[in-house]
Amino acid sequence: MRIGVYICHCGLNIAHTINVESLRDKVSELKNVALVKDIQFMCSDSGQDSIVQDITDLDLNHILVAACSPHLHEQTFKRVLEKAGLNPFMLEMVNIREQCSWVHMDDPQMATQKAFDLIRMGIARLKLLDPLQLKKIPVKKDVMVIGGGVAGIEAALTLANSGHHVIMVEKEPTIGGKMALLNEVFPTNDCSICVLAPKMTDVNQHPNIDLITLAEVTEVSGPVGNFNVTVTRQPRYIDEDKCKGCVDECGRVCPVEVPNRFDSGLGKTKAINMPIPQAVPQVVYIDNEYCVGCGLCKLACPADAIDYHQKEEKIEFTVGAIIVSTGYSHFDASRKPEYGYGIYPDVITNMELERLLNAAGPTKGRVLSPSTLKVPEKVSFIQCVGSRDEQVGNPYCSRVCCMSSMKNAQLLKERYPDVDITIHYIDVRASGEMYEEYYIRSQEMGINFIRGKVGEILQDSDGKLKLRYEDTLSSKLYEEPTDLVVLATGMENVKDADKISRVLNLTRRTDRFFSIAHPKMRPVDSHVKGIYIAGCASGPKEIQVSIAQGSAAAAKAMQLLSKGELEMDPLSAHVNPDKCIGCGICADTCKFNKITMVGRKAVVDELSCMGCGACSASCPADAIWMRNSTDEQIIAQIHAATEVKSESPLIVAFLCNWCSYTCADLAGTSRIQYPTNTRAIRVMCAGRVDPSFVLEALEHGADGVLVAGCRLGECHYTFANYNAKQRMDALKEVLADVGIDPGRLSVEWISASEGERFANSIEGFVDYLKKIGPIGSELKEAEQ
Amino acid sequence: MDEMTGENININEQLKEASTNALRCMQCGVCSSSCPSGRHTSLNIRKLVKIAGRSSDILKSDELWMCTTCYNCQERCPRGIDIVDTILKIRSISAYHNIILPEHRAVCQMLLKYGHAVPINDDYKIKRTEMGLEELPETVHKYTDSLNEVKELLTSCGFERFTEDNTDENKTMENTA
Repeated sequence: MRIGVYICHCGLNIAHTINVESLRDKVSELKNVALVKDIQFMCSDSGQDSIVQDITDLDLNHILVAACSPHLHEQTFKRVLEKAGLNPFMLEMVNIREQCSWVHMDDPQMATQKAFDLIRMGIARLKLLDPLQLKKIPVKKDVMVIGGGVAGIEAALTLANSGHHVIMVEKEPTIGGKMALLNEVFPTNDCSICVLAPKMTDVNQHPNIDLITLAEVTEVSGPVGNFNVTVTRQPRYIDEDKCKGCVDECGRVCPVEVPNRFDSGLGKTKAINMPIPQAVPQVVYIDNEYCVGCGLCKLACPADAIDYHQKEEKIEFTVGAIIVSTGYSHFDASRKPEYGYGIYPDVITNMELERLLNAAGPTKGRVLSPSTLKVPEKVSFIQCVGSRDEQVGNPYCSRVCCMSSMKNAQLLKERYPDVDITIHYIDVRASGEMYEEYYIRSQEMGINFIRGKVGEILQDSDGKLKLRYEDTLSSKLYEEPTDLVVLATGMENVKDADKISRVLNLTRRTDRFFSIAHPKMRPVDSHVKGIYIAGCASGPKEIQVSIAQGSAAAAKAMQLLSKGELEMDPLSAHVNPDKCIGCGICADTCKFNKITMVGRKAVVDELSCMGCGACSASCPADAIWMRNSTDEQIIAQIHAATEVKSESPLIVAFLCNWCSYTCADLAGTSRIQYPTNTRAIRVMCAGRVDPSFVLEALEHGADGVLVAGCRLGECHYTFANYNAKQRMDALKEVLADVGIDPGRLSVEWISASEGERFANSIEGFVDYLKKIGPIGSELKEAEQ
Repeated sequence: MDEMTGENININEQLKEASTNALRCMQCGVCSSSCPSGRHTSLNIRKLVKIAGRSSDILKSDELWMCTTCYNCQERCPRGIDIVDTILKIRSISAYHNIILPEHRAVCQMLLKYGHAVPINDDYKIKRTEMGLEELPETVHKYTDSLNEVKELLTSCGFERFTEDNTDENKTMENTA
């Protein structure tokens, strides 16, 4: 083994505090070190070139660079190794700037000592590094889109137009989703179906899109890039290739009249029907819930398209990525009994009003009070029915109802100028481009706005509705008659969300919508690699945002699959089957469900593994190997840190790569000074820290151990720091049991922006450890 | 506020603690429009919720005593605020600090004297016998020994304070408000 060590001056950034010459001399005496160089700027071209030259000339095979944070230049130096023909994983970077020279400016002597210790720890790890090969796995470029609403349509067309083959799976007999049922849409009052129908047709005719209707995804297995999908298709009882969509012939003879669910049950249709006039595919379907099998339609069909013998069918295929655009369902207004929906005929929902306003709806576009079949003189909208309401478990705002009620009020006013319209609201939410202007226009049209949610609706003996409400701006109570009440019902996740989350392993928020990987920064990523979410599946959204998310999800899928292959993450976990005892603890620990038990042995889906290492820390048989962060490497670093106790108290600090290591770097760039007593070991996640690491450090003479991770709930690996917390809490109890002060283990949840807090916590920890004395003092005291 | 005496801080703290839930109110008006009492009295429960936990003015409000505790508002409140329970807690605090109406005091005196907030009178005795019932019900009206026990119980937990008009404490309250 021939190790080359390079110490960077970084101008004076490092050399001003650390005595680089003495450091170089000390390092040169270490075993296996073939060369030590100190260079003004390691990252400069000349610095890089000298490494390449030395590797060739001196036959170096392990390289250590002591310079700035690996977050800055690890990739740079990996490329240097590659250039010199060395495996890039044979590099170890030691951070002597952000976490040493910049934070110990007043103590050059101890800073130099700490730098030396860090280099010794680096060499210990370096000796155990493996020349990893990045395995590449070919991926399928096909993408499945679940749900053919406006978000799914946008995603499918974006992908298909970019050359990807798309399989769209739709549960209903037609695509188009909720938008296809709306009359007109805000803020421009365009006809909804007029802007959507061309896109629906495009989906059907696109050579790159396969559309499967009346179908649900029932099974998904396999890794990202190669998801094996099973879709279950319900029979349509129509040969889609033969049906001409003439519907008059078959529909006319069908004797079974049924409520039309595409009209919210307001209108009637037949058991064989075209769900909406613009249905895509443009073929009829038989609703087998109602069909009596009389055979009349089969006799009437001129195209011989009717086939009563169709059966449920399973379709299997493989896709590289999945887009979930399963949409939403409307809150069931009968759950608010004080409004009498389902009892009073003249209390309807906003969606029912959409259908009444719609020229293709049950009344051909006339708005009539259901009880009198007359145009109402007074219409009252009630906002927030099933939204912002904890009584029904929906504390969230549904975002679109203020605008959609105003839109329907405007359309009513345009059609019937004499109608008296009032919108009863809690707060008007019109935050979007051109939305506030839309609100102003509604007011100018004479639509009344009353601030106060209606308490209850009564019906007098003549059947007349009365609203009880308080105008909260004047504090007056009213009991006021009205002709038609429109409930602005909120959005909820779809009824079969449970099934969807089970099949795809998606997590859900407390509001029951599917959760995205980060509530701000990753709006269309799910927690599962290769699965994206668009539209209302992740929460209420207006059409504009759903379309934007459809495009965004398509772009994410394209990015994932663009090379046709995925690099296996060298940080992924790997199970040694000889050591595995088949206990299954790791499979429980991995909340990404990337570990399965096959024949009583754990198997990691290494392509989809996120690399946190929580499984490895949980394994009682030490059978899980983190390729680039092995137990042996970490223990070697611990031994090197404690081998010479150069400082008292001595703290071994496990810092997670994402938040705590970054905030330690931030303390450096902000020049926040703190004591020199820590010796940091970078791990991918606090969840990687095996309790045995902590014990090993204490046993070998460390006075304290710091385990720091992202703030709870903000873990880069979503759940893994909860895992760490559980483990460390238990470990503290164990320490107390054996008579060691549990305060010697400090656990911190710090965000990447809390440099100051990081420094303070080190200071506090050092003070505490000074107070209780060196490790073992408490045991001696107990003996006396 | 003139000066923060220990007693005042105590009242404000107690009110705050009783009303933490009320701070979540979004003033939507479902409570007031669902309130049967508010249709006939000056009670606007929404306004009470608005100041609950924020101002000791609530103790000076006559409306505090107009709620019939029907729980309609609490059942419908979209923010899940325990409106009636909060009102009851505030009433207890008010009573504890002796801020109650003369009528309440009269009722308390009745309870202390007869063991009943509404004791029996001659009219009821006649009605009872006419209906074939015993003249006195199976309560402390009939068992005078037990009445003494009730009195002892009430006295031992300091119930008498509700029967006496403690003007000093009322003054304290005025200062607080």
